Amino acid sequence: MSSQPSLRIQQSWRASAILVPGLLLMCASPARADRIEKHFKVGAHPVVTIHNPTGLVTVRAWTKSEVMVVAKRATDRVDVDAEQIENRVDIDTRQIPDNASPGDLRADLEISVPEDAELQIHNDSGGVNVSNVLGDMNVETIAADVALEDAAGYLTVKTVDGAFVCTRCSGRIEASSISGNFRFIDLRSSHVRAQTSEGNILFNGEFLPNGTYELKNYNGIIEVRFSPTDSFDLSATSLKGKVNNEAKLGPSSHHHHFLPRFGNALFGSLNTGRAKVDLSSFDGTINILKRD
Amino acid sequence: MSTLDCNAFWNQLERWMEGERSSDAQAHLRGCPNCRGVVNDLDSIRQTAHAMDDADVAPPDRIWASLRSQLEQEGLIHADRHGWAETVKGWFEEIFAVVPRPALAGAYLVALIAVGFALAAPGYRHSDGAQISTRPLTAQLNTDEEHAISFVTDSDPVVAASLRKNLAIVDNYIALCEKSVQEEPENEFARDYLYGAYQQKADLLAQMTERGDTR
Repeated sequence: MSSQPSLRIQQSWRASAILVPGLLLMCASPARADRIEKHFKVGAHPVVTIHNPTGLVTVRAWTKSEVMVVAKRATDRVDVDAEQIENRVDIDTRQIPDNASPGDLRADLEISVPEDAELQIHNDSGGVNVSNVLGDMNVETIAADVALEDAAGYLTVKTVDGAFVCTRCSGRIEASSISGNFRFIDLRSSHVRAQTSEGNILFNGEFLPNGTYELKNYNGIIEVRFSPTDSFDLSATSLKGKVNNEAKLGPSSHHHHFLPRFGNALFGSLNTGRAKVDLSSFDGTINILKRD
Repeated sequence: MSTLDCNAFWNQLERWMEGERSSDAQAHLRGCPNCRGVVNDLDSIRQTAHAMDDADVAPPDRIWASLRSQLEQEGLIHADRHGWAETVKGWFEEIFAVVPRPALAGAYLVALIAVGFALAAPGYRHSDGAQISTRPLTAQLNTDEEHAISFVTDSDPVVAASLRKNLAIVDNYIALCEKSVQEEPENEFARDYLYGAYQQKADLLAQMTERGDTR
């Protein structure tokens, strides 16, 4: 009879031995990731600013006059604030305790916006993907890659070593980086200005009449793809590298070029030279190749 | 034929930059590649500065004082002899009034100008025969750079590594461009790349210090 209480005590000690360390472990480990969802009604041409130092930022256009923010936090050491001021929605990721490790601060954001929204995005590491947004866009990152699809408006992208891919974009594009690679695919833009120091630049798009296309790097490869029906006036100079050309160029139609005394240069017009293409590199290779 | 020598032209430089251009000064400029290089550089810097966005931060006075002292010490400007140090300071102030860069980045733009002066006149020597050098100025700026690097030490390791790697890339790029300009001083293409490299460095250091400020 006396063994019953003793057994109960033994069992409760056993339970405690399992539960207490378990509870302690739960307290000691970072809180599990969670999800925040917020909705904001907006008018025409809303402005959406996004500041998310670490994590993936995905922005998609939808048909609603509403901005929806879905945030997935790695831990509760990071907070995602989203607030509306008139027709602007500000989304800001910030750390709560000072001693949080960089891994704790990750937040992935999925944001749906009206297609005429203007975006301002800051993201240090992670990535930025934007699709079908037609408003102006300013994206700044350090190591994060940037991918824009079917974007229009005035697009300004600045990275330190994040790559930039622009697919089927039709706005005015200005991109700069130190070591990021740029790829412009199926572009229909009348103004492209891209500069990267150590990166490669690929341009595979249309040269629109009166368009200007200025691609510049320090070293790496600048590759421009053209079709025989394209019409552009070309200037390609590499101070210490090579210029390889497959285009049958005639004398320059609109611009008078003087051959530089330094470096390798190529000037001329393809067809009537309606667009202006300016390629320059310090130590890299410039390839002007026929489109497949 | 111009009746002006380089010193006389430099005394008129402020008026020249303000648009007052005597026929003698114009004639001198046509015949003097060194002075023409300086004027082109100043025009280019002024245009670049004005092309940037509206101002938010100007460099503190101590930075100008320190740099002016360095520039005078190195013989890049001569306050007493030519009386144009104040003029240059005025241009710098005009430039900084529209340049949205923190002080450190502003200092690098000043370095750009100083190096531009030195490179514009590669054969220029002081009356005592000493070759112009920007090394002390560069050393000063390197100290500031170390300070900027320390700002990012505790940040996200991916970001810190990226900033460091790219700073090294830009430094290498500056060194190679400087070498090219020194070998071919008339090569405007190389000079253009050198200015671009300094601007990239200014931007990068500004980003690094901004991260330190907001941490």
